[in-house]
Amino acid sequence: MKRLSSPIVTLVAFAAGSAIAPWFVGDRGVSLLSEGLLMLAMAQLWNLLAGYTGLVSMGLQCFVGLGGYTTIFASNYFSISPYWALSLAPIVCGLIGGVSAVFLFRLRDAYFSISTWVFSEVIAVVVLMTPGLGYVTGMTLETARGIDFETFLLVNFWITAAIAGASVLGIYLLMHSRLGLSMTSVRDDEIAATSIGVNVWCNRFIAYVAAAAGCGLAGGVSFMGALFITVTTAFDLNWVVAMIFIVIIGGIGTLEGPIIGTVIYYGIRELFTGVFALSGTWYLIALGTVAVITMLIAPAGIWPLIRDRFAIEWLSVKRKVPYLYACEADATRKSPIPHEQSYFV
Amino acid sequence: MLLKVTNLDAFHGNLQALHSVSIDVDAGESIALVGANGAGKTTFLKCVAGLIEHKRGAIAFAGKDISHAPAEAVARLGIALTPEGRMLFPSLNVEENLQMGGLTRRPGCWNLQRIYQLFPLLAERRLQMPNTLSGGQQGLVAIGRALMANPRLLLCDEISLGLAPVAVDLIYASFATIRTEGTAIVLVEQNVKRASSASHRIYCLLEGRVTLERGSRDVEADELARAYFGT
Amino acid sequence: MWVGTIINGVLLGGLYGLFGVGLALVFGVTRIINIMHGEFIALSAFIALGIAMLSPQMHPLLLIVPVVVISFGLGYALQAMFVNRAMRLPDPLAPLLLTFGLSVIVRNLMVELFGVNPRSIHQSDFAQLSINPFGIPIGVLPLATLALAALLFVALQFVLRRTEIGRIVRATADNSEVVRLMGVRPSSVYNIVMGLSFALAGIAGLMLALRTTFTPFSGVERLLISFEVVVLGGLGSFWGAMLGGIVLGVAQLVGLRLNPNSGFLYGNLVFFAFVMLRPNGLFGVRQ
Repeated sequence: MKRLSSPIVTLVAFAAGSAIAPWFVGDRGVSLLSEGLLMLAMAQLWNLLAGYTGLVSMGLQCFVGLGGYTTIFASNYFSISPYWALSLAPIVCGLIGGVSAVFLFRLRDAYFSISTWVFSEVIAVVVLMTPGLGYVTGMTLETARGIDFETFLLVNFWITAAIAGASVLGIYLLMHSRLGLSMTSVRDDEIAATSIGVNVWCNRFIAYVAAAAGCGLAGGVSFMGALFITVTTAFDLNWVVAMIFIVIIGGIGTLEGPIIGTVIYYGIRELFTGVFALSGTWYLIALGTVAVITMLIAPAGIWPLIRDRFAIEWLSVKRKVPYLYACEADATRKSPIPHEQSYFV
Repeated sequence: MLLKVTNLDAFHGNLQALHSVSIDVDAGESIALVGANGAGKTTFLKCVAGLIEHKRGAIAFAGKDISHAPAEAVARLGIALTPEGRMLFPSLNVEENLQMGGLTRRPGCWNLQRIYQLFPLLAERRLQMPNTLSGGQQGLVAIGRALMANPRLLLCDEISLGLAPVAVDLIYASFATIRTEGTAIVLVEQNVKRASSASHRIYCLLEGRVTLERGSRDVEADELARAYFGT
Repeated sequence: MWVGTIINGVLLGGLYGLFGVGLALVFGVTRIINIMHGEFIALSAFIALGIAMLSPQMHPLLLIVPVVVISFGLGYALQAMFVNRAMRLPDPLAPLLLTFGLSVIVRNLMVELFGVNPRSIHQSDFAQLSINPFGIPIGVLPLATLALAALLFVALQFVLRRTEIGRIVRATADNSEVVRLMGVRPSSVYNIVMGLSFALAGIAGLMLALRTTFTPFSGVERLLISFEVVVLGGLGSFWGAMLGGIVLGVAQLVGLRLNPNSGFLYGNLVFFAFVMLRPNGLFGVRQ
């Protein structure tokens, strides 16, 4: 396999690119990039749950919304800078995520997935009915008054870039660690994993809390940038729908998949609403069509298709085992053949 | 020649499970196919039944080439398989399992009545669910289900695995009756003694290759052991 | 009057059960979570509207016949052309995303074709009729819905338990590889099951349309309820889906009585409580 570029090169290129991008893409571009980068981070987190731990969540939008509400509420109520309030978002969401995991983990597969969605709906209504959070009208970020808007956008962009980079880097490192290995063993075969001493519950719990906290932070940044939040936008199912779309189209269980998926998602959106200037329904139809076609031709996702066709590696999390007797070894010829043992998709 | 398999290669993913396997079965004949775990016996049966797509070589049944026929078509031609582990349908009771066997509506002497005659145990338990039956009784249902298709060739995959000797006796006793109706049988077993006592000829597989082909009465113990375990 | 609320909750449960029973059928046999299900509820409402406009004299309940036929055909075709292909791999996420993609396409095509304004079917005054046993007002339409749901449920059970096609469907659901040994093509079974599932969704859509206004989004709005009904009852169990529907219907109306602004909160809370107590649903089969 050819190595496309080592992860370090990718990281450096990304950091450098993010630093100078605003001067090349203009305001509209910065806005779009921020949105895309946040979505990438969230998609990587959904991928962590579904692709690496086997938990298919339809409720991560809950933490996106809670993160947004925490940030805006804390900033308004305590009169602190929204950046400080932002740091509360992952904490609150991590806690709520942890508590919800305790009872959600009693459920399996489809029961679990549906229940995460229901949980999100319940939280949405609770937030809607809680006094002080704006009810149906929502809340504005009061402390944003008087902030220089240009700088605000720029800083926001760099924060989103940092979050996106951290999410990819974090998962990359995680998957190369022992914890990551045990997580994938849980995904592959729960019973076998338990039998070798992997604590299934703990692994899943860690992943779930991390995803909750991460989505909380992403939600916080997103709504901080929007300066405004309502229950409808905060707990919109479309957050997790986009995550699912991006990850599965791109390639579940791979790091590169969500990156490609995000590009495709926003590419289609901008193409249809911008270049073709069609109404919102048409870009959604296009997205749906891409989903259908991809699932018919490449059910494992687009990245595995590219990777296997062109024999490329990029941010691979495959582990290398130096020597392994090939299964096809002839009975008369048992020669050692170097073999790449793949633990992942 | 009822079944003629020539130079069959079969694959599980990238792993080659069968190498150039050639096995013949004549009408009314009873063949034993023995070998250790992983030798490829189940793979062979599945290939003949049409369940494995990734294969090379020729499989001819009653003169027809079925090398690329799907399992559904193979079943209609008259090949029935009792899968490893019996694999009864858990949501269906005994009678319904048997009725599923008769779905292809092939003409012949086997019907529910005759199956119940052959295995009176089942008649008593016709409305019971498979999970309430013993292993031996499930084995009887599995054979009955296969017979309902009035097959010309019956493939039995490790039908005695995990069963008490009494149950196995009952099953093997039924083979005599089945043979009198002219059905050819391929018996896959790890228990060589049982298999050879109920068959005309015996094949042995080792790591996907045929290592022995003999008349069941002519085979010698040490020769068979060599073929079974390899040198 | 609480009795009235509970009775109407049960009747509403009939509609919910109707939403869920098609989904339970598909999941029980193919193990796919069919996200398109919601869209077929909405699409059937529009199909019924179209037919109703073509023949205004037709009694609204007779609309069931063309709706069922068309829905069955559509479901069969979609499964045969698309979903069966995505089911080749054992990974359940591919068919999930496929049905999701199809649902997005169907929903947005409906928006383009029909617009987002609420519609309703005005056939006679059937929808307004109500009876008054013991002074409790009960709508004839909800009663008919419950009766229809119960009838369909019984019919479905009969077909599955007593007919050959039912045996084939159950066997395919049990083991799709072994059933091939009996000459059955699993993909053909899936086609029929999906067609049947959509026919059931079609009936649900029709009953919904007769009862209230609808938009192209009416399906996806009801998707969570449909899922909850199925999960509550235990995936693959029809008894459970009907019972689950009734439980949710009662919870919903009681909750709205307590707090008119709570939306579907109480339904969701009851769902949670039940699912925590019985993680495999009321009558679920362990997977």
